[in-house]
Amino acid sequence: MLLQMIGCDHHQAGLEVRQQLAFDGSQTRAALAAWHRQFPATELALLSTCNRVELYAAAEGEDSAPAAEELVASLLNFRQLPQEQLASQVQTLTGSEVVRHLYRVTSSLESMVIGEPQILAQVKQAYLHAHQLGCTGPLLHELFQSALRTAKRVTGETSLHKHRVSIPSVAIADLASCVFETFDDKHVLVIGAGEMAEETLRYLRDAGRAQIHVINRSAERGRELAHTWSGTYHAWDELWDQLVRADLAISTTSAGQPVVTGADYAQRVTPHRHQRPLFILDLAVPRDFEPSIGEDPGVYLYSLDDLDHACEQNRQARAAELPAAEKIVAQESSRFVAEINHRATTPVITGLRAGLERPKTAELERLFRRLPDLDAASQAEIRQFADRLVNKMLHPPLESLRDASQNGPPHGLLDALKRLFHLED
Amino acid sequence: MLCFTACYVIALVCEFAALWAPWATRRWNRLARVVSATAGLVAHTWFLGQRVAGTPQAPLTSHQDWYLLAAWVVALVYLATKFYRAQSSLGLFLMPVVLALVGAAQFASSAPLATFQAPRLWGRVHGVFLMLGTVAVLLGFLAGLMYLLQSYRLKRKLTVQGGLRLPSLEWLERVNSRALIAATLLVGGGFFTGVLSRLSHTNEHNFIPWADPVVWSLLAMLVWLVLAEVLRLVYPAARQGRKVAYLTMAAFVFLLFVLLVTMSADSLHMASPSDAAVLPRLPAAWLGEMF
Repeated sequence: MLLQMIGCDHHQAGLEVRQQLAFDGSQTRAALAAWHRQFPATELALLSTCNRVELYAAAEGEDSAPAAEELVASLLNFRQLPQEQLASQVQTLTGSEVVRHLYRVTSSLESMVIGEPQILAQVKQAYLHAHQLGCTGPLLHELFQSALRTAKRVTGETSLHKHRVSIPSVAIADLASCVFETFDDKHVLVIGAGEMAEETLRYLRDAGRAQIHVINRSAERGRELAHTWSGTYHAWDELWDQLVRADLAISTTSAGQPVVTGADYAQRVTPHRHQRPLFILDLAVPRDFEPSIGEDPGVYLYSLDDLDHACEQNRQARAAELPAAEKIVAQESSRFVAEINHRATTPVITGLRAGLERPKTAELERLFRRLPDLDAASQAEIRQFADRLVNKMLHPPLESLRDASQNGPPHGLLDALKRLFHLED
Repeated sequence: MLCFTACYVIALVCEFAALWAPWATRRWNRLARVVSATAGLVAHTWFLGQRVAGTPQAPLTSHQDWYLLAAWVVALVYLATKFYRAQSSLGLFLMPVVLALVGAAQFASSAPLATFQAPRLWGRVHGVFLMLGTVAVLLGFLAGLMYLLQSYRLKRKLTVQGGLRLPSLEWLERVNSRALIAATLLVGGGFFTGVLSRLSHTNEHNFIPWADPVVWSLLAMLVWLVLAEVLRLVYPAARQGRKVAYLTMAAFVFLLFVLLVTMSADSLHMASPSDAAVLPRLPAAWLGEMF
């Protein structure tokens, strides 16, 4: 049996190469269908995300499997890319390397942001696409299912995925959720229409159905942002009224000096809020809110630096979980490889068993003919004795085969058994 | 008693262990907390059931029973949080209160309360109201404490990661407000059922001993709770944020005062000479017939 993976990820190839190689859903289906026609005896699956394009191939016999160069050529040809330039950036893995790599990918240990959860769904999707097109078989099925199981183990037994590392996710999921139980009825004020505001709103939308209010100096851009997020646009002069009503404020203007000063806040907002909690995410550089506003009893003010600090702490926490995750991947990949290797010994084991079963049956028949007075109970006892004897004789070679399978296909041992017991291929 | 106390101690130890436990063991830790708390509650219930079987008016016939019943209610709340808010560290705050109440029961008088002085129904309603009012004040205090702690962590940008996971400020504020309302109603109900039970006497006891320290301390607490509610109605700032937490914490101080007075009420409680003759150790008025 031969397992292969060819492809590239953010470690080997730059964004430009990855973009050229990337496949969307329909392209993936078309490519798999074409490759399946080209290599009918090979199981195939294509994983294409923004950080990686990887083609997995598995074949029962090494003779029926395409060479790695053929797979690379097929991949590049489909995207009509020059082989001479890109072939060197395409990585090739075989056998247990493929297993370990897919397990690491699925568990998000190979991701650009280690621990990000999207990759699990992407791997599932890649397998489903291949399965629907009939490109998969028992080998890739086993491989992908065990990879998904491994990823679930990593998720369940480590806190790798618990520590968020992007600023918007930390701001909403780690910090704002400490203030608000739900975002459903919250008045969210977006000051400015920066990219970070949009990113944060994306996380916020996932967390609940907040009422979004946008204030921007440019009415056109403000209305556009409000429309995108089903919010309401307000003119800039409504800033103070909106701050009084807001539960959560996200500020991303490009103003050169603070938009909200401490004195203005104390005079125009504080008296009307009655210490109602206000969570402010000041994502602007330089700051939009003066730090002194954070001293107001009801205000929880977080600047970009504060959020970056929280992200860094989470990154460290993730790094601390890496050894445990690597250990799980190592355990699971060793187990899978051993099982696959052991599977290669099945014909020999069947032959061995049949080779002992035949004389056992013949000898039992001969014995029962010579002792015709034996009753049924005695015959059953003798049959059981013979079965146990055969099983005990088979036990040591089977154990040796299992042990040898841990370190790769036990070709030497299989050959020796075939010769010793006159087993046919 | 030792059995359920040990179970609660195990649950508390597991709560502390969860602060530092590796991720992989947290599921087992949670299971251990649920199992130990459930075992504790079963033993606790059995203990109170035995008391009821032995003393028909139990489990509110003595100070000891009263504390144990309050501990049972808080332990029930603790177990509920294991399912309702499994990820939070509420147990770190609730379980010490359970153990403190069990500990207080150890030192509290086991002498029967003066239940013979009033109709049995009034005495029970009075005791139950005040016991539940106490639990409400305790829960409000804990919610207030957690609110201030969570607010402090957010204000100082202290890392939110790690084992100590507190509920959101919004949730704590809600619990705080509801606990304050419940405490006002329950303590008020307890006070007035006490008055009614006293007035329902047909003998020379049908007067209200306003000079009794337990009576006036409880009345002071009730007045504070009512004032706090009025303040919350007329002053919007007192309905949200830290002010609610401060109000419930002040209510807790009143509660402590009432409990201390109650613990030493044998000498302070105003009892008629005839009562004193019948009851050598006239207990405080927190439960049973206090007036």
